[in-house]
Amino acid sequence: MKKRKFTFLTFSFYAFLLLIAASWYFVIGVKNASFLELFSKENVAYASKFFKGLFGVGQEEIAFLNRDSWSYAFTLTIETLQMSIMAIGFSTIVMFLTVIPAARNVADGTLTLSRKWYRWVVFGLIRISYIFSRAIPELVWAMIIIFIFKPGILPGAIALALHNFGILGKLCAEVIEDTDSRPIRNLASAGAGRAQILMYGVLPTVLPQFLTYILYRWEVIMRTTIVVGFVGAGGLGQEFKLSMSFFHYTEITLLLICYLILVIIADFISEKSRFFVK
Amino acid sequence: MLSFDLHKRKVLTLFLLLLFAWSLFGVNWQEGVMHSSGIGPAAEIFAAMFTPDLSLDILILAIESSWLTLAYATAGMSLALILALIIGILASGVLASGKRSRTYMKGSFRGVLGFMRAIHELVWAWLFVASFGLSPYAAIFALAIPYGGILGRIFADMINDVPEEPILALKATGASRLQCLFYGYLPSVKNSMISYTMYRYECAVRSSAIMSFVGLGGLGYQIQLSLNDLHYDEVWTFIYFLIILVILIDGWSNMLRKRMQL
Repeated sequence: MKKRKFTFLTFSFYAFLLLIAASWYFVIGVKNASFLELFSKENVAYASKFFKGLFGVGQEEIAFLNRDSWSYAFTLTIETLQMSIMAIGFSTIVMFLTVIPAARNVADGTLTLSRKWYRWVVFGLIRISYIFSRAIPELVWAMIIIFIFKPGILPGAIALALHNFGILGKLCAEVIEDTDSRPIRNLASAGAGRAQILMYGVLPTVLPQFLTYILYRWEVIMRTTIVVGFVGAGGLGQEFKLSMSFFHYTEITLLLICYLILVIIADFISEKSRFFVK
Repeated sequence: MLSFDLHKRKVLTLFLLLLFAWSLFGVNWQEGVMHSSGIGPAAEIFAAMFTPDLSLDILILAIESSWLTLAYATAGMSLALILALIIGILASGVLASGKRSRTYMKGSFRGVLGFMRAIHELVWAWLFVASFGLSPYAAIFALAIPYGGILGRIFADMINDVPEEPILALKATGASRLQCLFYGYLPSVKNSMISYTMYRYECAVRSSAIMSFVGLGGLGYQIQLSLNDLHYDEVWTFIYFLIILVILIDGWSNMLRKRMQL
Protein backbone atom coordinates (compact mmCIF):
# COMPACT_ATOMS: atom_id res chain seq x y z
CA MET A 1 0.00 0.00 0.00
CA LYS A 2 2.68 2.43 0.96
CA LYS A 3 4.70 1.73 -2.15
CA ARG A 4 1.72 2.39 -4.40
CA LYS A 5 0.92 5.70 -2.74
CA PHE A 6 4.50 6.78 -3.24
CA THR A 7 4.51 5.91 -6.92
CA PHE A 8 1.19 7.56 -7.66
CA LEU A 9 2.22 10.76 -5.93
CA THR A 10 5.57 10.91 -7.72
CA PHE A 11 3.88 10.05 -10.98
CA SER A 12 1.42 12.92 -10.50
CA PHE A 13 4.22 15.26 -9.59
CA TYR A 14 6.22 14.47 -12.72
CA ALA A 15 3.12 14.49 -14.90
CA PHE A 16 2.28 17.92 -13.59
CA LEU A 17 5.81 19.20 -14.22
CA LEU A 18 5.69 17.76 -17.73
CA LEU A 19 2.33 19.41 -18.35
CA ILE A 20 3.64 22.78 -17.19
CA ALA A 21 6.77 22.46 -19.34
CA ALA A 22 4.74 21.37 -22.37
CA SER A 23 2.29 24.22 -22.08
CA TRP A 24 5.01 26.84 -21.65
CA TYR A 25 6.85 25.31 -24.60
CA PHE A 26 3.61 25.48 -26.57
CA VAL A 27 3.00 29.11 -25.66
CA ILE A 28 6.56 30.28 -26.27
CA GLY A 29 7.76 27.87 -28.95
CA VAL A 30 4.73 27.05 -31.06
CA LYS A 31 2.66 30.18 -30.65
CA ASN A 32 5.78 32.35 -30.93
CA ALA A 33 4.65 34.60 -28.16
CA SER A 34 7.53 36.82 -27.21
CA PHE A 35 7.41 38.27 -23.75
CA LEU A 36 9.53 41.28 -24.66
CA GLU A 37 7.26 42.14 -27.55
CA LEU A 38 4.56 42.93 -25.03
CA PHE A 39 6.57 45.96 -24.07
CA SER A 40 7.31 47.16 -27.60
CA LYS A 41 6.90 50.84 -28.30
CA GLU A 42 3.53 50.46 -29.99
CA ASN A 43 2.08 48.37 -27.22
CA VAL A 44 3.24 50.79 -24.57
CA ALA A 45 1.66 53.61 -26.55
CA TYR A 46 -1.61 51.67 -26.85
CA ALA A 47 -1.61 50.73 -23.21
CA SER A 48 -0.92 54.25 -22.02
CA LYS A 49 -3.66 55.58 -24.31
CA PHE A 50 -6.05 52.97 -22.92
CA PHE A 51 -5.28 53.75 -19.30
CA LYS A 52 -5.40 57.49 -19.94
CA GLY A 53 -8.81 56.86 -21.46
CA LEU A 54 -9.90 54.93 -18.37
CA PHE A 55 -8.96 57.81 -16.10
CA GLY A 56 -10.54 60.32 -18.45
CA VAL A 57 -7.39 62.30 -19.24
CA GLY A 58 -8.13 64.86 -21.96
CA GLN A 59 -11.78 63.94 -22.43
CA GLU A 60 -14.77 66.22 -22.45
CA GLU A 61 -17.40 64.00 -20.89
CA ILE A 62 -16.14 62.15 -17.89
CA ALA A 63 -18.71 59.62 -16.80
CA PHE A 64 -17.56 59.14 -13.24
CA LEU A 65 -17.87 62.86 -12.53
CA ASN A 66 -21.35 63.01 -13.98
CA ARG A 67 -24.37 62.73 -11.74
CA ASP A 68 -26.73 61.19 -14.29
CA SER A 69 -24.36 58.40 -15.18
CA TRP A 70 -23.89 57.63 -11.49
CA SER A 71 -27.63 57.25 -10.99
CA TYR A 72 -27.83 55.09 -14.12
CA ALA A 73 -24.98 52.95 -12.86
CA PHE A 74 -26.79 52.66 -9.55
CA THR A 75 -29.91 51.20 -11.17
CA LEU A 76 -27.68 48.78 -13.07
CA THR A 77 -26.01 47.81 -9.82
CA ILE A 78 -29.39 47.06 -8.23
CA GLU A 79 -30.32 45.03 -11.31
CA THR A 80 -27.11 43.04 -11.01
CA LEU A 81 -27.79 42.41 -7.34
CA GLN A 82 -31.29 41.18 -8.20
CA MET A 83 -29.86 38.92 -10.88
CA SER A 84 -27.41 37.33 -8.45
CA ILE A 85 -30.07 36.78 -5.78
CA MET A 86 -32.45 35.32 -8.33
CA ALA A 87 -29.73 33.01 -9.62
CA ILE A 88 -28.82 31.68 -6.20
CA GLY A 89 -32.54 31.36 -5.40
CA PHE A 90 -33.25 29.27 -8.48
CA SER A 91 -30.28 27.03 -7.95
CA THR A 92 -31.12 26.59 -4.26
CA ILE A 93 -34.69 25.57 -5.09
CA VAL A 94 -33.57 23.01 -7.67
CA MET A 95 -30.84 21.82 -5.35
CA PHE A 96 -33.34 21.22 -2.51
CA LEU A 97 -35.59 19.27 -4.84
CA THR A 98 -32.81 16.96 -5.97
CA VAL A 99 -30.31 16.77 -3.13
CA ILE A 100 -31.94 14.05 -1.03
CA PRO A 101 -31.90 11.26 -3.66
CA ALA A 102 -28.45 12.42 -4.75
CA ALA A 103 -26.83 11.45 -1.46
CA ARG A 104 -25.12 8.08 -1.51
CA ASN A 105 -26.44 7.03 1.90
CA VAL A 106 -30.01 7.69 0.77
CA ALA A 107 -29.49 5.71 -2.42
CA ASP A 108 -28.19 2.61 -0.66
CA GLY A 109 -30.88 2.87 2.00
CA THR A 110 -28.72 3.25 5.12
CA LEU A 111 -30.31 6.56 5.94
CA THR A 112 -33.98 5.86 5.33
CA LEU A 113 -33.90 2.12 6.07
CA SER A 114 -35.72 1.28 2.86
CA ARG A 115 -34.01 -0.22 -0.13
CA LYS A 116 -35.58 0.26 -3.51
CA TRP A 117 -33.94 -0.59 -6.81
CA TYR A 118 -34.94 2.65 -8.48
CA ARG A 119 -33.06 4.70 -5.86
CA TRP A 120 -29.78 3.97 -7.59
CA VAL A 121 -31.20 4.94 -10.98
CA VAL A 122 -32.42 8.27 -9.63
CA PHE A 123 -29.09 8.75 -7.86
CA GLY A 124 -27.16 8.16 -11.08
CA LEU A 125 -29.37 10.42 -13.16
CA ILE A 126 -29.16 13.30 -10.71
CA ARG A 127 -25.40 12.93 -10.29
CA ILE A 128 -24.92 12.95 -14.08
CA SER A 129 -27.02 16.10 -14.33
CA TYR A 130 -24.84 17.70 -11.61
CA ILE A 131 -21.66 16.87 -13.50
CA PHE A 132 -23.18 18.11 -16.72
CA SER A 133 -24.35 21.38 -15.27
CA ARG A 134 -21.14 22.24 -13.49
CA ALA A 135 -18.79 21.25 -16.30
CA ILE A 136 -20.30 23.84 -18.65
CA PRO A 137 -19.17 27.37 -17.75
CA GLU A 138 -21.83 29.97 -17.04
CA LEU A 139 -20.83 32.00 -20.07
CA VAL A 140 -21.59 29.09 -22.40
CA TRP A 141 -24.90 28.51 -20.65
CA ALA A 142 -25.65 32.21 -21.11
CA MET A 143 -24.77 32.09 -24.80
CA ILE A 144 -27.23 29.23 -25.25
CA ILE A 145 -29.98 30.64 -23.01
CA ILE A 146 -29.93 33.99 -24.77
CA PHE A 147 -31.19 32.23 -27.89
CA ILE A 148 -34.34 31.29 -26.03
CA PHE A 149 -35.12 34.17 -23.66
CA LYS A 150 -35.38 37.89 -24.23
CA PRO A 151 -32.32 39.85 -23.11
CA GLY A 152 -32.60 40.99 -19.52
CA ILE A 153 -31.69 39.79 -16.09
CA LEU A 154 -33.78 36.62 -16.29
CA PRO A 155 -31.62 34.74 -18.84
CA GLY A 156 -28.52 35.80 -16.91
CA ALA A 157 -30.00 34.48 -13.69
CA ILE A 158 -31.00 31.22 -15.37
CA ALA A 159 -27.55 30.73 -16.87
CA LEU A 160 -25.87 31.38 -13.52
CA ALA A 161 -28.34 29.07 -11.79
CA LEU A 162 -27.75 26.28 -14.31
CA HIS A 163 -24.02 26.30 -13.65
CA ASN A 164 -24.23 26.70 -9.90
CA PHE A 165 -26.93 24.15 -9.21
CA GLY A 166 -24.50 21.35 -10.08
CA ILE A 167 -21.84 22.70 -7.76
CA LEU A 168 -24.29 23.37 -4.92
CA GLY A 169 -25.88 19.98 -5.39
CA LYS A 170 -22.57 18.17 -5.24
CA LEU A 171 -21.39 20.09 -2.16
CA CYS A 172 -24.69 19.66 -0.32
CA ALA A 173 -25.08 15.99 -1.19
CA GLU A 174 -21.67 15.47 0.40
CA VAL A 175 -22.92 17.25 3.52
CA ILE A 176 -25.86 14.83 3.75
CA GLU A 177 -23.50 11.90 3.25
CA ASP A 178 -21.46 13.10 6.22
CA THR A 179 -24.37 13.60 8.63
CA ASP A 180 -25.02 11.39 11.61
CA SER A 181 -27.62 8.93 10.29
CA ARG A 182 -29.02 7.74 13.63
CA PRO A 183 -31.63 10.48 14.32
CA ILE A 184 -32.85 10.29 10.74
CA ARG A 185 -33.15 6.52 10.82
CA ASN A 186 -35.17 6.89 13.96
CA LEU A 187 -37.58 9.18 12.16
CA ALA A 188 -37.80 6.80 9.22
CA SER A 189 -38.55 3.82 11.40
CA ALA A 190 -41.25 5.83 13.16
CA GLY A 191 -43.00 6.05 9.81
CA ALA A 192 -42.10 9.52 8.62
CA GLY A 193 -42.62 10.22 4.93
CA ARG A 194 -40.03 11.64 2.64
CA ALA A 195 -41.09 15.26 3.17
CA GLN A 196 -41.18 14.75 6.92
CA ILE A 197 -37.72 13.23 6.93
CA LEU A 198 -36.51 16.24 4.98
CA MET A 199 -38.21 18.80 7.24
CA TYR A 200 -37.50 17.30 10.66
CA GLY A 201 -34.49 15.09 10.15
CA VAL A 202 -32.20 16.27 7.44
CA LEU A 203 -32.77 20.01 7.28
CA PRO A 204 -32.08 20.94 10.91
CA THR A 205 -28.74 19.13 10.90
CA VAL A 206 -27.47 20.24 7.52
CA LEU A 207 -28.94 23.71 7.21
CA PRO A 208 -26.03 25.66 8.71
CA GLN A 209 -23.59 23.92 6.39
CA PHE A 210 -25.93 24.44 3.42
CA LEU A 211 -26.20 28.13 4.23
CA THR A 212 -22.44 28.47 4.26
CA TYR A 213 -22.19 26.89 0.85
CA ILE A 214 -25.08 28.93 -0.53
CA LEU A 215 -23.52 32.15 0.65
CA TYR A 216 -20.15 31.11 -0.70
CA ARG A 217 -21.67 30.40 -4.11
CA TRP A 218 -23.59 33.66 -3.94
CA GLU A 219 -20.31 35.49 -3.53
CA VAL A 220 -18.93 33.69 -6.59
CA ILE A 221 -22.11 34.40 -8.56
CA MET A 222 -21.81 38.08 -7.71
CA ARG A 223 -18.40 38.04 -9.32
CA THR A 224 -19.63 36.24 -12.45
CA THR A 225 -22.71 38.40 -13.05
CA ILE A 226 -20.53 40.75 -15.06
CA VAL A 227 -19.48 37.90 -17.32
CA VAL A 228 -22.93 36.68 -18.28
CA GLY A 229 -23.81 40.30 -18.95
CA PHE A 230 -21.28 40.30 -21.78
CA VAL A 231 -23.53 38.20 -23.97
CA GLY A 232 -26.56 40.38 -23.34
CA ALA A 233 -27.91 39.04 -20.09
CA GLY A 234 -28.40 42.41 -18.46
CA GLY A 235 -26.88 44.25 -15.55
CA LEU A 236 -23.47 45.84 -15.29
CA GLY A 237 -21.83 43.41 -17.68
CA GLN A 238 -24.04 44.30 -20.62
CA GLU A 239 -23.36 47.99 -20.16
CA PHE A 240 -19.67 47.23 -19.76
CA LYS A 241 -19.67 45.45 -23.11
CA LEU A 242 -21.53 48.31 -24.78
CA SER A 243 -19.18 50.97 -23.42
CA MET A 244 -16.25 48.85 -24.51
CA SER A 245 -17.60 48.70 -28.07
CA PHE A 246 -18.29 52.45 -28.13
CA PHE A 247 -14.87 53.20 -26.60
CA HIS A 248 -16.50 55.10 -23.74
CA TYR A 249 -13.58 54.44 -21.45
CA THR A 250 -14.64 56.63 -18.55
CA GLU A 251 -17.93 54.73 -18.33
CA ILE A 252 -15.93 51.53 -18.02
CA THR A 253 -14.13 52.98 -15.03
CA LEU A 254 -17.45 53.92 -13.44
CA LEU A 255 -18.90 50.46 -14.04
CA LEU A 256 -15.78 48.79 -12.69
CA ILE A 257 -16.04 50.90 -9.53
CA CYS A 258 -19.67 49.82 -9.04
CA TYR A 259 -18.73 46.20 -9.71
CA LEU A 260 -15.87 46.31 -7.22
CA ILE A 261 -18.14 47.79 -4.56
CA LEU A 262 -20.69 45.02 -5.12
CA VAL A 263 -18.04 42.31 -4.96
CA ILE A 264 -16.51 43.72 -1.79
CA ILE A 265 -19.94 43.95 -0.13
CA ALA A 266 -20.71 40.34 -1.13
CA ASP A 267 -17.35 39.26 0.20
CA PHE A 268 -17.96 41.02 3.49
CA ILE A 269 -21.49 39.65 3.96
CA SER A 270 -20.47 36.11 3.16
CA GLU A 271 -17.47 36.30 5.50
CA LYS A 272 -19.50 37.75 8.38
CA SER A 273 -22.43 35.41 7.99
CA ARG A 274 -20.12 32.43 7.84
CA PHE A 275 -18.94 33.49 11.26
CA PHE A 276 -22.57 33.91 12.35
CA VAL A 277 -23.65 30.50 11.08
CA LYS A 278 -20.76 28.77 12.81
CA MET B 1 -19.99 33.53 19.87
CA LEU B 2 -23.60 33.75 18.82
CA SER B 3 -25.46 30.51 18.96
CA PHE B 4 -27.46 29.62 15.89
CA ASP B 5 -30.67 28.50 17.50
CA LEU B 6 -33.95 27.59 15.86
CA HIS B 7 -35.55 30.99 16.25
CA LYS B 8 -32.76 32.88 14.57
CA ARG B 9 -32.67 30.35 11.81
CA LYS B 10 -36.35 30.91 11.07
CA VAL B 11 -35.88 34.67 10.94
CA LEU B 12 -32.90 34.29 8.65
CA THR B 13 -34.75 31.90 6.34
CA LEU B 14 -37.71 34.25 6.13
CA PHE B 15 -35.40 37.15 5.37
CA LEU B 16 -33.64 35.23 2.60
CA LEU B 17 -36.98 34.19 1.08
CA LEU B 18 -38.16 37.81 1.09
CA LEU B 19 -34.91 38.83 -0.59
CA PHE B 20 -35.49 36.23 -3.28
CA ALA B 21 -39.07 37.40 -3.79
CA TRP B 22 -37.83 40.97 -4.14
CA SER B 23 -35.39 39.91 -6.81
CA LEU B 24 -38.20 38.38 -8.85
CA PHE B 25 -39.79 41.81 -9.19
CA GLY B 26 -36.81 42.85 -11.28
CA VAL B 27 -38.16 40.91 -14.25
CA ASN B 28 -40.83 42.26 -16.51
CA TRP B 29 -43.13 39.22 -16.51
CA GLN B 30 -46.08 40.83 -18.33
CA GLU B 31 -44.45 41.19 -21.71
CA GLY B 32 -43.39 37.57 -21.80
CA VAL B 33 -39.89 36.42 -21.07
CA MET B 34 -39.23 34.35 -24.16
CA HIS B 35 -38.60 35.36 -27.72
CA SER B 36 -41.71 34.95 -29.84
CA SER B 37 -39.92 32.11 -31.62
CA GLY B 38 -38.04 31.01 -28.55
CA ILE B 39 -39.37 27.47 -28.42
CA GLY B 40 -38.02 26.54 -31.86
CA PRO B 41 -34.31 27.13 -31.16
CA ALA B 42 -34.72 25.62 -27.71
CA ALA B 43 -36.02 22.39 -29.19
CA GLU B 44 -33.29 22.41 -31.85
CA ILE B 45 -30.53 22.95 -29.28
CA PHE B 46 -31.96 20.21 -27.12
CA ALA B 47 -32.24 17.81 -30.04
CA ALA B 48 -28.66 18.55 -31.11
CA MET B 49 -27.51 17.44 -27.68
CA PHE B 50 -28.01 13.81 -28.69
CA THR B 51 -26.54 14.16 -32.17
CA PRO B 52 -23.17 15.90 -31.74
CA ASP B 53 -21.20 16.44 -34.94
CA LEU B 54 -18.50 13.77 -34.94
CA SER B 55 -16.97 14.35 -38.38
CA LEU B 56 -13.19 14.10 -38.54
CA ASP B 57 -12.22 17.74 -39.03
CA ILE B 58 -14.48 18.86 -36.20
CA LEU B 59 -12.93 16.23 -33.92
CA ILE B 60 -9.40 17.35 -34.86
CA LEU B 61 -10.37 20.96 -34.27
CA ALA B 62 -11.89 20.01 -30.92
CA ILE B 63 -8.74 18.16 -29.83
CA GLU B 64 -6.53 21.06 -30.88
CA SER B 65 -8.61 23.61 -29.05
CA SER B 66 -8.83 21.36 -25.97
CA TRP B 67 -5.04 21.31 -25.87
CA LEU B 68 -4.92 25.09 -26.28
CA THR B 69 -7.37 25.46 -23.40
CA LEU B 70 -5.41 23.07 -21.22
CA ALA B 71 -2.08 24.72 -22.07
CA TYR B 72 -3.32 28.20 -21.18
CA ALA B 73 -4.84 26.89 -17.97
CA THR B 74 -1.65 25.09 -16.95
CA ALA B 75 0.63 27.99 -17.78
CA GLY B 76 -1.66 30.42 -15.99
CA MET B 77 -1.97 28.12 -13.00
CA SER B 78 1.82 27.71 -12.66
CA LEU B 79 2.23 31.48 -12.58
CA ALA B 80 -0.67 31.78 -10.16
CA LEU B 81 0.95 29.23 -7.86
CA ILE B 82 4.19 31.23 -7.74
CA LEU B 83 2.30 34.45 -7.09
CA ALA B 84 0.16 32.80 -4.44
CA LEU B 85 3.10 31.26 -2.61
CA ILE B 86 5.00 34.55 -2.44
CA ILE B 87 2.12 36.88 -1.60
CA GLY B 88 0.26 34.29 0.46
CA ILE B 89 3.22 33.67 2.77
CA LEU B 90 3.74 37.41 3.12
CA ALA B 91 0.02 37.92 3.79
CA SER B 92 -0.01 35.29 6.53
CA GLY B 93 2.36 37.53 8.48
CA VAL B 94 4.58 34.74 9.81
CA LEU B 95 7.67 36.47 8.47
CA ALA B 96 7.04 39.71 10.34
CA SER B 97 9.09 40.41 13.43
CA GLY B 98 6.94 42.48 15.77
CA LYS B 99 3.25 42.52 16.43
CA ARG B 100 2.83 45.90 14.79
CA SER B 101 4.65 45.11 11.56
CA ARG B 102 2.74 41.84 11.46
CA THR B 103 -0.60 43.65 11.40
CA TYR B 104 0.59 46.04 8.71
CA MET B 105 1.98 43.24 6.60
CA LYS B 106 -1.16 41.15 6.93
CA GLY B 107 -3.43 44.06 6.12
CA SER B 108 -1.55 45.35 3.10
CA PHE B 109 -0.86 42.00 1.43
CA ARG B 110 -4.36 40.73 2.10
CA GLY B 111 -5.60 43.91 0.46
CA VAL B 112 -3.46 43.16 -2.60
CA LEU B 113 -4.85 39.61 -2.76
CA GLY B 114 -8.39 40.92 -2.36
CA PHE B 115 -7.95 43.29 -5.25
CA MET B 116 -6.45 40.57 -7.44
CA ARG B 117 -9.38 38.24 -6.97
CA ALA B 118 -12.14 40.85 -6.88
CA ILE B 119 -12.04 41.33 -10.64
CA HIS B 120 -13.20 38.38 -12.70
CA GLU B 121 -10.66 36.74 -15.00
CA LEU B 122 -12.62 37.65 -18.10
CA VAL B 123 -12.49 41.33 -17.19
CA TRP B 124 -8.75 41.03 -16.61
CA ALA B 125 -8.47 39.36 -20.02
CA TRP B 126 -10.36 42.19 -21.57
CA LEU B 127 -8.18 44.81 -19.95
CA PHE B 128 -5.03 42.98 -21.06
CA VAL B 129 -6.22 42.52 -24.62
CA ALA B 130 -7.22 46.16 -24.82
CA SER B 131 -3.83 47.26 -23.60
CA PHE B 132 -1.46 44.87 -25.33
CA GLY B 133 -3.25 43.02 -28.06
CA LEU B 134 -4.21 39.42 -28.71
CA SER B 135 -1.19 37.72 -27.18
CA PRO B 136 -1.34 34.37 -25.36
CA TYR B 137 0.19 36.21 -22.42
CA ALA B 138 -3.03 38.16 -22.09
CA ALA B 139 -4.86 34.89 -21.37
CA ILE B 140 -2.13 33.57 -19.09
CA PHE B 141 -1.86 36.73 -17.00
CA ALA B 142 -5.61 37.12 -16.90
CA LEU B 143 -5.81 33.63 -15.38
CA ALA B 144 -2.79 34.01 -13.14
CA ILE B 145 -3.88 37.19 -11.38
CA PRO B 146 -7.31 36.24 -9.99
CA TYR B 147 -6.30 32.64 -9.33
CA GLY B 148 -3.14 33.86 -7.60
CA GLY B 149 -5.38 36.03 -5.45
CA ILE B 150 -7.73 33.19 -4.49
CA LEU B 151 -4.96 30.66 -3.88
CA GLY B 152 -2.86 33.19 -1.96
CA ARG B 153 -5.71 34.05 0.35
CA ILE B 154 -6.47 30.40 1.07
CA PHE B 155 -2.75 29.65 1.59
CA ALA B 156 -2.51 32.53 4.05
CA ASP B 157 -5.56 31.24 5.94
CA MET B 158 -4.11 27.73 6.03
CA ILE B 159 -0.77 28.96 7.37
CA ASN B 160 -2.55 30.99 10.03
CA ASP B 161 -4.54 27.93 11.10
CA VAL B 162 -1.42 25.86 11.81
CA PRO B 163 -1.36 24.85 15.50
CA GLU B 164 1.00 26.91 17.61
CA GLU B 165 2.78 24.14 19.51
CA PRO B 166 5.15 22.73 16.85
CA ILE B 167 6.14 26.25 15.86
CA LEU B 168 6.84 27.17 19.47
CA ALA B 169 8.96 24.04 19.77
CA LEU B 170 10.92 25.03 16.70
CA LYS B 171 11.39 28.54 18.04
CA ALA B 172 12.61 27.15 21.35
CA THR B 173 15.40 25.33 19.54
CA GLY B 174 16.50 28.64 18.08
CA ALA B 175 15.03 28.49 14.57
CA SER B 176 14.83 31.76 12.69
CA ARG B 177 11.57 32.96 11.17
CA LEU B 178 12.56 31.65 7.75
CA GLN B 179 13.47 28.26 9.20
CA CYS B 180 10.14 28.19 11.04
CA LEU B 181 8.44 28.76 7.72
CA PHE B 182 10.28 26.04 5.84
CA TYR B 183 10.39 23.40 8.57
CA GLY B 184 7.26 24.26 10.56
CA TYR B 185 4.50 25.94 8.59
CA LEU B 186 4.98 24.71 5.03
CA PRO B 187 5.30 20.94 5.73
CA SER B 188 2.15 20.96 7.84
CA VAL B 189 0.00 22.67 5.22
CA LYS B 190 1.55 21.04 2.14
CA ASN B 191 -1.17 18.44 1.58
CA SER B 192 -4.11 20.78 1.91
CA MET B 193 -2.33 23.25 -0.36
CA ILE B 194 -1.92 20.60 -3.05
CA SER B 195 -5.51 19.44 -2.88
CA TYR B 196 -6.86 22.99 -3.02
CA THR B 197 -4.59 23.80 -5.96
CA MET B 198 -5.89 20.76 -7.82
CA TYR B 199 -9.47 21.87 -7.19
CA ARG B 200 -8.66 25.31 -8.52
CA TYR B 201 -6.90 23.79 -11.52
CA GLU B 202 -10.20 22.28 -12.58
CA CYS B 203 -11.81 25.71 -12.33
CA ALA B 204 -8.91 27.22 -14.28
CA VAL B 205 -9.59 24.88 -17.19
CA ARG B 206 -13.18 26.06 -17.31
CA SER B 207 -12.11 29.69 -17.10
CA SER B 208 -9.52 29.26 -19.79
CA ALA B 209 -12.24 27.85 -22.02
CA ILE B 210 -14.29 31.02 -21.68
CA MET B 211 -11.27 33.26 -22.35
CA SER B 212 -12.48 32.71 -25.88
CA PHE B 213 -14.83 35.53 -25.53
CA VAL B 214 -12.16 38.16 -26.03
CA GLY B 215 -10.83 36.25 -29.06
CA LEU B 216 -8.02 34.26 -27.47
CA GLY B 217 -8.87 30.89 -28.98
CA GLY B 218 -9.62 27.58 -27.32
CA LEU B 219 -12.78 25.56 -26.81
CA GLY B 220 -15.01 28.47 -25.86
CA TYR B 221 -14.03 30.37 -28.97
CA GLN B 222 -15.11 27.42 -31.12
CA ILE B 223 -18.36 27.15 -29.17
CA GLN B 224 -19.05 30.79 -29.82
CA LEU B 225 -18.25 30.51 -33.54
CA SER B 226 -20.50 27.47 -33.96
CA LEU B 227 -23.31 29.12 -32.02
CA ASN B 228 -23.10 32.17 -34.25
CA ASP B 229 -23.32 29.91 -37.30
CA LEU B 230 -26.28 28.12 -35.66
CA HIS B 231 -24.43 24.77 -35.92
CA TYR B 232 -25.82 23.40 -32.67
CA ASP B 233 -24.44 19.91 -33.24
CA GLU B 234 -20.87 21.28 -33.38
CA VAL B 235 -21.53 23.28 -30.21
CA TRP B 236 -22.35 20.09 -28.35
CA THR B 237 -19.22 18.35 -29.65
CA PHE B 238 -17.05 21.08 -28.16
CA ILE B 239 -19.07 21.11 -24.96
CA TYR B 240 -18.60 17.34 -24.59
CA PHE B 241 -14.86 17.78 -25.03
CA LEU B 242 -14.87 20.43 -22.31
CA ILE B 243 -16.85 18.13 -20.01
CA ILE B 244 -14.40 15.27 -20.62
CA LEU B 245 -11.45 17.55 -19.87
CA VAL B 246 -13.02 18.74 -16.63
CA ILE B 247 -13.97 15.22 -15.55
CA LEU B 248 -10.44 13.93 -16.23
CA ILE B 249 -8.88 16.61 -14.06
CA ASP B 250 -11.54 16.12 -11.41
CA GLY B 251 -10.80 12.40 -11.33
CA TRP B 252 -7.07 13.00 -11.12
CA SER B 253 -7.44 15.40 -8.22
CA ASN B 254 -9.84 13.03 -6.43
CA MET B 255 -7.33 10.20 -6.72
CA LEU B 256 -4.56 12.44 -5.48
CA ARG B 257 -6.63 13.61 -2.53
CA LYS B 258 -7.51 10.05 -1.56
CA ARG B 259 -3.89 8.93 -1.69
CA MET B 260 -2.68 11.85 0.35
CA GLN B 261 -5.14 11.20 3.13
CA LEU B 262 -3.87 7.66 3.63
